[in-house]
Amino acid sequence: MKFKSKADTSVYSLEALKLASYILDEWQFKISTFGEIEVDGENPEKGFKELLNEALNQQCRIDLASKNSKIANIIITKAVLSALGEKEANK
Amino acid sequence: MAVKIKENKKLDKTSFNFRKINGGVVLSNDFGCHCVLSEKDFEKILKGKKIPSYLEERLSEAGFISKKMDFDKLFSGWQKKNSFLYTGPGLNIFVLTLRCNHKCLYCQSGALSQNGKKSDMSWQTAKKSVDMAFSSPNPNISIEFQGGEPLANWPVLEKTVKYARKKQKDSKKNLFIALVSNLSLMDEKKAEFLLKNEISICTSLDGPSFIHNKNRPFSLGNSHSLTVKWIKYFMKRHDEQKDLSYRIFKPSALLTVSKNSLGFHKEIIDEYVSLGLESIFFRPLSPIGYAAKYWDKIGYNSKEFLSFYRKGLEYIISLNLKGKKISEKTAQMLLTKIFDFKDPGFLDLRCPCGASVGQIAYNWDGSIYTCDEGRMIGWEGDDFFKAGDINKSSYKDIINSSATKGCMVTSNLENQPMCFRCAYKPWCGVCPAVNYEAQKTPWGNIISSQRCEIFMGIFDILFELLGKKRESEVLKSWISEDK
Repeated sequence: MKFKSKADTSVYSLEALKLASYILDEWQFKISTFGEIEVDGENPEKGFKELLNEALNQQCRIDLASKNSKIANIIITKAVLSALGEKEANK
Repeated sequence: MAVKIKENKKLDKTSFNFRKINGGVVLSNDFGCHCVLSEKDFEKILKGKKIPSYLEERLSEAGFISKKMDFDKLFSGWQKKNSFLYTGPGLNIFVLTLRCNHKCLYCQSGALSQNGKKSDMSWQTAKKSVDMAFSSPNPNISIEFQGGEPLANWPVLEKTVKYARKKQKDSKKNLFIALVSNLSLMDEKKAEFLLKNEISICTSLDGPSFIHNKNRPFSLGNSHSLTVKWIKYFMKRHDEQKDLSYRIFKPSALLTVSKNSLGFHKEIIDEYVSLGLESIFFRPLSPIGYAAKYWDKIGYNSKEFLSFYRKGLEYIISLNLKGKKISEKTAQMLLTKIFDFKDPGFLDLRCPCGASVGQIAYNWDGSIYTCDEGRMIGWEGDDFFKAGDINKSSYKDIINSSATKGCMVTSNLENQPMCFRCAYKPWCGVCPAVNYEAQKTPWGNIISSQRCEIFMGIFDILFELLGKKRESEVLKSWISEDK
């Protein structure tokens, strides 16, 4: 069963749609650069809705990463370098 | 919720998170400082109105006003609270065997029956694990023997202790050894060895026999009476120690709250008090191992747990007011973080979590996991949290493994959409292993996570009680005990 529709690319970025498609393994998705989506699998319309839902979750995480990635990376780097015994980490 | 007020130019505030609780609003910032305001005062701040000078002073002291920040003081508090970022792993969990003579309903350790030795850690594996534990740059090394029932593999435990004590002398590091045991295989000879080697004893005690024995079936006898017998023994040895060349630690016990515990908070707490135990740890069930399998029989929702927690905490406080000495461990740890800016060593409530950089779990077969929960998930056939193997990996391989780095990224609260805006962020943490088991992804979906609901609820209860004079005095007295 196939279902075709289009996602509003002003709401859902292509990156978020692609990330969402990796997570939902019940369906197969073909996503064009213009947001056209083809869903293959059982109840494909449901698959399309689930994709948009998950894309919102992914979009939220992408936006957060772009805002916080610098501080997040500093914290993780410090924790890992300290565990490795790198003296630089404690400066 | 997170707020950055730009229009309030008079006060020039820094960004902060907030949460409404019964009786006010909790404000917190990235330094780990907090203020609890009345809703009226909070509204004034939001609207940019003038606030009383005492309030302005309080806010500036806690780093909420950018022009009046004592950055050195605030940073030193942050550094103290996050000292674990500078040390490397200290806790080393040794799963000496999967064999166990109990069949606990909520077991998350993947225990197997007592017969057969196929799941016993060999001496070679234990020795290599000790060597790896001492590879950490952390000057304080802890080894915790777990299982199954670790006493079931006594010869390896004995050798490991002797070897670790020798390594301690050579390395000049501090070494703490702990045994987590149901005590059913304990005898005087073993007890003597453990005490002489300064091993702290921790057991499971779920309350009076009618709850304990229901949660912890033991086909060879009465689990409760054996546990109590040995708690009394170790307590007596602790109390009577005099002129010894070694220290004897007070025994401690862990409570796992199951459905069978609900409604019996008084009976459980009274049991702890009657045994002279000074701390009780209201631990919720983790949806891992048998607990996940039998959730319908022993599980509960977060509201049920929080109702138990509140009643239990209020009862403990009332006992304290009558002069009895007992504290609740979760509250004690969170209060230590909130008021003392100190890391109490609870690895699940760190950012990032303690996976490999705070603790390492050494399985009986030589496989190494980021944590004990990750090891349990491995036992179920999914090695997502496996960081290496004692026979193939170096210490650096473990820290650099994808399992470690995956946990670092997913447990970083700055990467979690719900958490980074939460007022309780400075003192909280997420557990990728629990997320993975409950929600099929290490990131989790925090908004629907039971673990988050429980911790959020505990923080709410604590801040509410801190607003009451007598309760607050009791709660704050536990912080000094933790020192």
